[in-house]
Amino acid sequence: MAENVIVVGGGIVGTSTAYYLAKMGIHVTLIEAQDIAAGTSGACDRAIMLQSKAPGPMLQLGLHGARIYETLEDELEADLEYRRGGGMILIETEEEMTAIRELVERQRQAGLDIALLSGEQARELQPGLGAHLLGTTWWAGDAEVNPLKVCFAMAQAAQRAGAAIRMGSKVTALLSERGRVVGVEAEGKRTYADAVVVALGVWTPLLLRTIGVELPIVPRKGQILVSERVPAFVSHNILSGAYIAAKHRKDGGKEEAQNPAGVGLSLGQTGSGSLLIGGSREFVGFDLSTTPQVIRAIGQSAVRLFPKMAGMRVIRAFAGLRPYTPDGRPVIGPVEEWPGLYVAAGHEGDGIALGPATGRIMANLAIGRPAGCDVAPFALSRFTQ
Amino acid sequence: MNDVIICRCEGVRLSEIEQAIREGASAVPGVKKRTRAGMGPCQGRVCQRVVLQLLQQPPSEAGESPDALQRSRSPVRPTLLGDL
Ligand SMILES: Cc1cc2nc3c(=O)[nH]c(=O)nc-3n(C[C@H](O)[C@H](O)[C@H](O)COP(=O)(O)OP(=O)(O)OC[C@H]3O[C@@H](n4cnc5c(N)ncnc54)[C@H](O)[C@@H]3O)c2cc1C
Ligand code: FES
Repeated sequence: MAENVIVVGGGIVGTSTAYYLAKMGIHVTLIEAQDIAAGTSGACDRAIMLQSKAPGPMLQLGLHGARIYETLEDELEADLEYRRGGGMILIETEEEMTAIRELVERQRQAGLDIALLSGEQARELQPGLGAHLLGTTWWAGDAEVNPLKVCFAMAQAAQRAGAAIRMGSKVTALLSERGRVVGVEAEGKRTYADAVVVALGVWTPLLLRTIGVELPIVPRKGQILVSERVPAFVSHNILSGAYIAAKHRKDGGKEEAQNPAGVGLSLGQTGSGSLLIGGSREFVGFDLSTTPQVIRAIGQSAVRLFPKMAGMRVIRAFAGLRPYTPDGRPVIGPVEEWPGLYVAAGHEGDGIALGPATGRIMANLAIGRPAGCDVAPFALSRFTQ
Repeated sequence: MNDVIICRCEGVRLSEIEQAIREGASAVPGVKKRTRAGMGPCQGRVCQRVVLQLLQQPPSEAGESPDALQRSRSPVRPTLLGDL
């Protein structure tokens, strides 16, 4: 059994993995190139939304994650701005109605009792919605959290439990001996361990490539607008049907031609009162720029769904890189050809919801314990064989 | 010592920024993510210079590295959503 584990990457997945390992008494070193939450986990939204997960393994992992969040503030002794306020998927067209009816049916079969409400009921539940809205889904179990706070709280709790955290230290090589990974090299310094967990989000392929392992994680950019502070405006997670279509769509379809930047509204309000208005889904490599066309398109979809928002001010915009995989599922598990090496990455737009659950599973796997749930759907071998 | 407000927009005090630096923030974005300093309507135009100085104590010879600054982000000025 491993007694000594290195976790590479200080996003939500890496800090969660380090925390659960330290909690089990394992000697952990977390190594991060810049700072905690410097990557995607510091440039994203705040939804822990189960409605939007594909029924099957992703929904199962989501349920596992949602249960962890219910008690996480107590466990980490920190305010995470966790709020279980429910969630809606807004329906604007008959086409969306058909697709969302089908999604709701499948979610109900999986045990999520999502309601389908009329436009009128929607406007009652969420004042400010436009008159053209045909309806909405509603599920009271959806929640939200401040992802920055989760990362910092996980890192601090890991430290309190004995983990060492090295920031400003970029891992450039994986060290191997006799066909086994035995450590990492960062800033010229070598560190050895029984197991190495790579939790580098969109940067994961860059490090694994140095040891001959290819995996298909690519950055999928999302741009988000931030409003000035406004009085309580939304109290739950809101997605538009167009957002869901962009999330689950296949490349090259008609939808892609009409909406190349994958713009679909997501809306939430932070603890400080700003609205986070998203978002886009773009394959443009590691580019993190915000672009006027996409900002405009996001703003327009917000005003279309919430006419009152025309009078609110946007104070900034930012972009983050979702770690996309071709089948929409993350990679969580060992690298078969390299004993001692593990990967936990590729959560695309669901890493905040799934990060703590992934950390718990990964911590168990890295020390040779049972995962505690079915991880076969997340095996790296589905891409390498 | 009086605990002055460094970021006026977000009401962030000197002690909070010092605490963030002790926790490992090594550049402006790290202070911003831990304290919200720089996230206000002025986008750090007022507070960023001071935050940078605090990050550089004891003063480093390298001076301001462009990496330490937050990226300027569009829209540069607060804009009405209806005008986008
Ligand atoms: C616009 C947007 C909105 C989103 N909204 C949501 C949402 O509402 N709900 C949700 O659940 N998910 C959401 N997501 C998805 C979620 O943000 C990601 O899935 C998640 O943050 C990925 O976390 P991670 O730990 O895998 O990666 P990251 O947070 O990117 O962490 C990787 C870390 O590795 C570090 N690193 C890189 N290279 C090296 C190296 N060589 N050595 C050491 N360290 C290195 C980086 O600095 C970084 O800190 C959103 C994403 C985006 C972009
Ligand atoms: S003074 Fe800090 S953001 Fe304006």
